[in-house]
Amino acid sequence: MLLLSILLLPLLGAVILTALPNSKRQGAGRFAIAWAVIPLAFVVMMRGTRPTPEGGILASWSLDWIPSANISLSFSVDGISWVFLLLTSLVTLFALAISSRFGLNSRGYCALILVMQSMLFGVFTAGHFIPFFLCWEMTLIPSYLLIRLWGGDGAPRAAMRFFIVTLFGGVCMLLGFLALQVSVGTMDFAMLHELAANKELASGVGEALKSTGYGGHYLLTIIAICVFFGLAVKIPVFPFHAWLPDAYAEAPTPVTLLLTGLLSKMGVYGLLRIFMMIFPEVLPGFAPWLTALAVITVVLGAVAALAQTDMKRILAYSSINHLGYCVLAVAAVAASQADRTAVSSSISGVILQAFNHGIIASALFFSVGIFEQRSGGLRSIDDFGGLRAKMPVFCGLMGLALFASLGLPGLSGFVGEFLIFNGVFGLVPWAAAVSLIGLLLTAVFLLRLLRKVFHGPLPSALESWTDLTTRERLLFVPVIALIVGLGVWPQAILHCINDDILRMLNHLLPSS
Amino acid sequence: MNYIHLFYQLLPEAVLVITALALLGVAVSTESKTKKTITCGLASRIAALGVLAAGVALVFTPKCLASGSHLIAMDAIALIFKGGVLGLGFLAVLVPPAKKEIEHPGEYFALMLFALTGLTLAVGSNHLLFIFVALELASLSLYLLAGFSRTPQSSEASLKYFLFGAVSAAFMLFGLSFLYGFSQSDTLQGVAKAVAADPTSVIGMVGLLMVVVGLGFKMAAAPFHYWAPDVYQGAPVTTVTLVAGASKIVGVVLLVRFLMIGFPDAAGSAAWGGITAGWSIWLAIIAAVSMVFGNLLALAQKSVRRLLAYSAVANSGYLMVGMCAAGGESSAAALFYVVVYGLATLGALVVTAAVERDQGSDSQAAFAGLIHRSPLLAVCLLIFMTSLAGIPPLAGFAGKFILFGAAMTDSIQAENSGLAWLVGLAVVMSAVSFYYYLSVLKQAFVKDGDGSAGKESLSLGYVLAVVIPAAALVLLGLLPSVLLDPIKVAVLETLGMH
Amino acid sequence: MNPAWTIISAFAGALLVLLLPARMAGQSRIIALIASLVGAAAAAVSCLTRLNGMESDVWSFKSDWIPSFGIQFHLAADGLALTLLMLTGVVAIAGVLFSWNVTKRPRAFFAYFLTIIGGVYGVFLSQDAFLLFVCYEIVILPKYMLIAIWGSTNREYGAMKLTMYSIGSSALILLGLVVAYAAAGGTSFDIAHLAAAEYSTELQNWAFPILFLGFAVLAGMWPFHTWAPTGHVAAPTAASMLLAGVVMKLGAFGALCIAIPLFPDGFAVWQPFIAGLAVVGILYGAFTALQQKDLKFVIGYSSVSHMGFVMLGLATATHWGFRGAALQMISHGVIAGLLFGIAGRVVYERTHTRDLTELGGFNLWKSLPGAAIAFTLATAASMGLPGFSGFVAEISVVIGVWESYPWLLPWVALGIIITGAFSLRAMYRAFFPDSKASSAETMGAGSSTPPLDPLTWPEISAMALLLIVSLSIGIYPKPWVTLIDDGLRSPLFQSILFQP
Repeated sequence: MLLLSILLLPLLGAVILTALPNSKRQGAGRFAIAWAVIPLAFVVMMRGTRPTPEGGILASWSLDWIPSANISLSFSVDGISWVFLLLTSLVTLFALAISSRFGLNSRGYCALILVMQSMLFGVFTAGHFIPFFLCWEMTLIPSYLLIRLWGGDGAPRAAMRFFIVTLFGGVCMLLGFLALQVSVGTMDFAMLHELAANKELASGVGEALKSTGYGGHYLLTIIAICVFFGLAVKIPVFPFHAWLPDAYAEAPTPVTLLLTGLLSKMGVYGLLRIFMMIFPEVLPGFAPWLTALAVITVVLGAVAALAQTDMKRILAYSSINHLGYCVLAVAAVAASQADRTAVSSSISGVILQAFNHGIIASALFFSVGIFEQRSGGLRSIDDFGGLRAKMPVFCGLMGLALFASLGLPGLSGFVGEFLIFNGVFGLVPWAAAVSLIGLLLTAVFLLRLLRKVFHGPLPSALESWTDLTTRERLLFVPVIALIVGLGVWPQAILHCINDDILRMLNHLLPSS
Repeated sequence: MNYIHLFYQLLPEAVLVITALALLGVAVSTESKTKKTITCGLASRIAALGVLAAGVALVFTPKCLASGSHLIAMDAIALIFKGGVLGLGFLAVLVPPAKKEIEHPGEYFALMLFALTGLTLAVGSNHLLFIFVALELASLSLYLLAGFSRTPQSSEASLKYFLFGAVSAAFMLFGLSFLYGFSQSDTLQGVAKAVAADPTSVIGMVGLLMVVVGLGFKMAAAPFHYWAPDVYQGAPVTTVTLVAGASKIVGVVLLVRFLMIGFPDAAGSAAWGGITAGWSIWLAIIAAVSMVFGNLLALAQKSVRRLLAYSAVANSGYLMVGMCAAGGESSAAALFYVVVYGLATLGALVVTAAVERDQGSDSQAAFAGLIHRSPLLAVCLLIFMTSLAGIPPLAGFAGKFILFGAAMTDSIQAENSGLAWLVGLAVVMSAVSFYYYLSVLKQAFVKDGDGSAGKESLSLGYVLAVVIPAAALVLLGLLPSVLLDPIKVAVLETLGMH
Repeated sequence: MNPAWTIISAFAGALLVLLLPARMAGQSRIIALIASLVGAAAAAVSCLTRLNGMESDVWSFKSDWIPSFGIQFHLAADGLALTLLMLTGVVAIAGVLFSWNVTKRPRAFFAYFLTIIGGVYGVFLSQDAFLLFVCYEIVILPKYMLIAIWGSTNREYGAMKLTMYSIGSSALILLGLVVAYAAAGGTSFDIAHLAAAEYSTELQNWAFPILFLGFAVLAGMWPFHTWAPTGHVAAPTAASMLLAGVVMKLGAFGALCIAIPLFPDGFAVWQPFIAGLAVVGILYGAFTALQQKDLKFVIGYSSVSHMGFVMLGLATATHWGFRGAALQMISHGVIAGLLFGIAGRVVYERTHTRDLTELGGFNLWKSLPGAAIAFTLATAASMGLPGFSGFVAEISVVIGVWESYPWLLPWVALGIIITGAFSLRAMYRAFFPDSKASSAETMGAGSSTPPLDPLTWPEISAMALLLIVSLSIGIYPKPWVTLIDDGLRSPLFQSILFQP
């Protein structure tokens, strides 16, 4: 019941907002913020429930859909899901909180964000492909509208491109899973994991789709590619990232924050929980390609960021780069499962990196938002300079976030990247080596941003700028606290996911 | 068989003739005294009463299957279709032509009654010569009736009708003489015997085809239909209703008699992939030509009367589809359909006449806004046109469906697809026909009219002549069995197919 | 209440409306609403009864009609028919509500409307080919009248075109049925009897395409779809809703329950062609919709595309495919009804334009937020996003395609994507402002365009009804699927779906 209320509460909030009389427009933002606190509280409360001993399930709920085909809307939460739930509720709350700073507090806007939150909860808890896909696709319309209606001048085009590309990915993923339904009669994740662990999936697919004239392994590879494509578009992985810079740049800042902080995590989550777990039979075959893509994503993301002057675009490419590490870890695990410790380290790294990236991105995009708001829409790093003198506190906070982003030890960004590199070195050393270039370049462009904006001569237009208001400082507090806190004590997250990672390991490497 | 017996059997016809003579007498006497003729309305009412009385007389007429000479055959078909002819005749005489059109209403309606007499007589005979004489009685009266109003169109119609009629009568008589020579018998039963002995006889077949040409003329089947458009358009409306309704029924009944009683063994087959020599294939060709010609030409008509004439051509085609199958059920279905068709076409003509009388034109445009001017006429027109087009729940639909179904059933065999090609053509052409029926309805229901047109005022005769067929069409559409079952029983009984 | 009440209520309603005295003509909408409600209630009660008593025999009613030709008045309602009855009931209610403001000859309007509804109910319930055909044809003339008299753009042409296509299609059906009747011995028109008869393969090979094509024309299968967009555009709102919502379903229903079971061998031969045409239809409809300027044309072509999925489901000859086809019929019925209702009634009656560019100037997102929300949701449903009915239907069809024609899948996927694209394009062009100048920060503030009338209650309730149905199917399809599966267990489909 707790799970169901977490899933439905934001939706209910959206409905209430829509039904509110128009005159209460000013109150819509406040209402939404207050409302978004409730799921956060519920998620935290859920940590207190005792997990089931065999599956580590904290809560679950299900509804028959097409019983004759084993399709049901089933949702369940284990440790990993919980971490993502937490991230979702935190980031959504933060996005709503900063939205009103930017004058985005109309009913429609808040309602759409709440709908999106609900769907994200669904994605991170789905136990069957149908509910997963349901929530996955239902994020499309809200995010499309958010970009389209509240975005910049280029928003219509960017939103359309974003929509079509992601829809395309979704359809591919759907077709892939339906093939599994046809051949093995189920799309339930747990059952598919079971089949995959017993190496029965490829043979099942081959048997059912004999008529195509291809073998099971080949067909399963195609299915896996379809599914990967759907996930990769969301993250995004090179070369499916073309929609991203425009969409991120045109969307209003809080929405960009949602896109990068949460929507891209859907892809990471899917790679980890679905792709890696269902297709181990065929993964070794194309893992080298995957690894190569991940490496290119990491490096290219960094190089592209280096070429940008628009702060939002820099951060957008930096997101590609940071999430590239997650893909790299998954690809490495897929390629080689030689070392149990390395695999475990990689997987933990992915989850930590996903969580931390969400938090750090929140801080960074909020900072960009502050620039935008004060300068009336300017975002280029060339427009600013020497602000350290005028805004020391802001400079410190944003600098902290930037350092966390480039992975300074002691801050949260470091732990995830360290675990990932630790794991990948053990599995696919060359990829880790090449990716280091990306790591270095990240440092370069982030520091360049810091230098350009806060140092050097102060443009005359910025003479009148003052430091952060108390309210803005207060908004920074929880984020910075998390960045520092998780950097010092990553165990807080790792503790939650240890059991689940153990289960995944047993599943992937049953022999040991 | 004595003459009293004969008189009983011809009681309806006797009533008709007596009424006709009375009408003539009244007309002549009033004219000579007052220089004023009796009015159209009065004459129409007298004639209607006469037809009604004949109908009552028919009820009391005994059924008599085997009178020695077959001169008069009061078999089951005859009983039903004499009723049918009288019924449609009754509706026809209910509609008086405009006063200015007809100068001598008494004579006009007397001729109507004579024509009806000829038609009823023709229905109830298996004797070759008697059939011819009865038909000629009807035809001669109809030629005159067509030319009765003194407009040039009427005269042209009469002349065309007469010329084509004379040629076709010659054909028919020639054909009958062939049949007589071939079978040494002047009855259809005798012909049947000869055919059974020699089904492939060329003389017999030639004779039959000539008769079919003659009947095809009566039914306005293509290519013997050239008189139809002009007669439908030019002749007084009362004549046209008789030609379109009762006369058509007689054509089909006689076709059934000739083909199914006289030549059942020479049918051959027109089935796709299984064509064998016989009359079926010839009929199929006439049917196909009629359907295609009639429907395509009707598409181009502006005048509703001409449109109905071409629709009559097309409908002869559908009827012949039923005949082609050469089966009892399909014959029964054709006979059912012709009654339904007669009712619908008669009703449509009456509505057209009413519109024409008030708007001065029978063009489609004259119908514009009919629903506002006269809802009754418009709704009845809807019933007639949709019945003609074969839309349920009206009788025209049931008629067509059953006709095509029976034609398929009687013709299909394991090794070939039967008349599917012809039925297919019929169905497609029937779909085409919907276009022109609908375009009339479009004027009546969709167009608003210019508002200047006056309201159609309706006499009782008109009201009856549209309401009765409309009600009958609805009733027969919902419960076709009411008429279909008796017809089927009668046909199977008469043809000896139990 | 048994399912027959659906038919009775509709025809009785039609008669009652016609008999209303002229001064009470305004009340005809109330009668129509009551009749639709009774019909929908009867359908709903029957559905629930069936769901609770799946083991019992289906409801049926049989009586002689024209015994000499083996024609019976035979109605029966299995699960499949019941779901379609339910759909018809819902669309009927919404149609009446969306026509609440009809003032031109209201009696005739609602009489025609209810006649169509009654005919549609009749087709779904008929178990006798003759009766089915009667009900099928009853619909044609009222359809013409509704469009020709109350329609808008090019109404007489659209009405005539649509009617001639319908008549042509019914001619083919008539021929097919008559051939089946004759070949089965000419004794009975009972569908079960016709389906059980043995037909030679040769006959099936030519009779199947005739019969199937007849139904497929009405279902809007490419390339015989051209009546659909013109007809939908010309029709008044309620008629568009009925046409796209239920009348097109008659074709699909006939193809599923008559053409395929009657001639299974012929079906097996023609199956690949149907699948090919269906896919072409999906793509053609989608690409054409992408280029339309008129909002109703977009929806009209989207219907072609969506009905392509129904045909594709049928062509797979699998349980999933048939199930998907049935679901898609219901789903499309609701969604198309909703889209046409919004485009034709809610928007057009206020703006008097359906041109996408001109609509953009009205800034409907601000001036009619309710309509914009409803249209957005309907768009999402139309593009098959999960959570709405279209998704359940499409995945079922796609699973069927995986089983039968995997190589068609890339094209199907393309179709789904283009559907997303054109739906989205129509939505933002029509409802959302062009540029940032009128973006949502000023939402609710005064705008340059004259204010539009607010939504009325009938409109809101109609939109809500259709949306709720679509959502309920999308979120919880179990009862619908159960009912459809019940229908597919009928002996009609045994030889096709459950071959040894």
